[in-house]
Amino acid sequence: MILHTLNAAPSSAAFEDCLSVARSGDAIVLMGDGVYAALSGTRAWEELQSKGAELYLLNSDALALGVMQPTEGGNWIDMDGFVALTERFPRQQAWY
Amino acid sequence: MAANGKKSMLIVLRHSPYGSSLAKAGLDTVLATAAFSQPVDLLLLGDGVLQLQPDQDGHRIGQKNVGRQLSSLPLYDINHVYVDAEAVTRYNVDISRAPVDTRMLDKEELHQLMAGYDHLLGF
Repeated sequence: MILHTLNAAPSSAAFEDCLSVARSGDAIVLMGDGVYAALSGTRAWEELQSKGAELYLLNSDALALGVMQPTEGGNWIDMDGFVALTERFPRQQAWY
Repeated sequence: MAANGKKSMLIVLRHSPYGSSLAKAGLDTVLATAAFSQPVDLLLLGDGVLQLQPDQDGHRIGQKNVGRQLSSLPLYDINHVYVDAEAVTRYNVDISRAPVDTRMLDKEELHQLMAGYDHLLGF
């Protein structure tokens, strides 16, 4: 059970590394440039969904970067929600 | 993996040795953690496996040799260095000549490894 925070665009090595490790039972929080992976209709979003992990978007970052659509399969969270996730998952891996 | 009530830590190095200061910062953190007698292991993931290139010589560009730092890890009682086997293949790193002994893990084993530590710290 790992909480992954992904803070890099889908073209990055960080994105690839995160995808290679994340599994069902984990959660992935998209923040910073990471929210671009949630653009609907993109391969990045399909690849993320295929991992079977819970997917979250930090809403302040998503809205700031213009990722406006509540992408199917993704959950919007605010800072309080993020903090709640850190309580639920015993360990966190930052991908940046 | 916690020993003596201490929290176990896995440092995850994901960046090439000389393209940024992250590799050096990560290794410094490994050594500092070990210096305080905290249990710490190392994982080289993705581009991080490039830190194992046998013939690197950072001095030629005015930097410390990262390979030499890696080779000193056993002196600090850091005896577990894990490596992303897929990345080693991708970059064709000659692991037999790497500066430190490593254990190769496939993707499934990587996840199992990471899930077994109290803390993960990525560089």
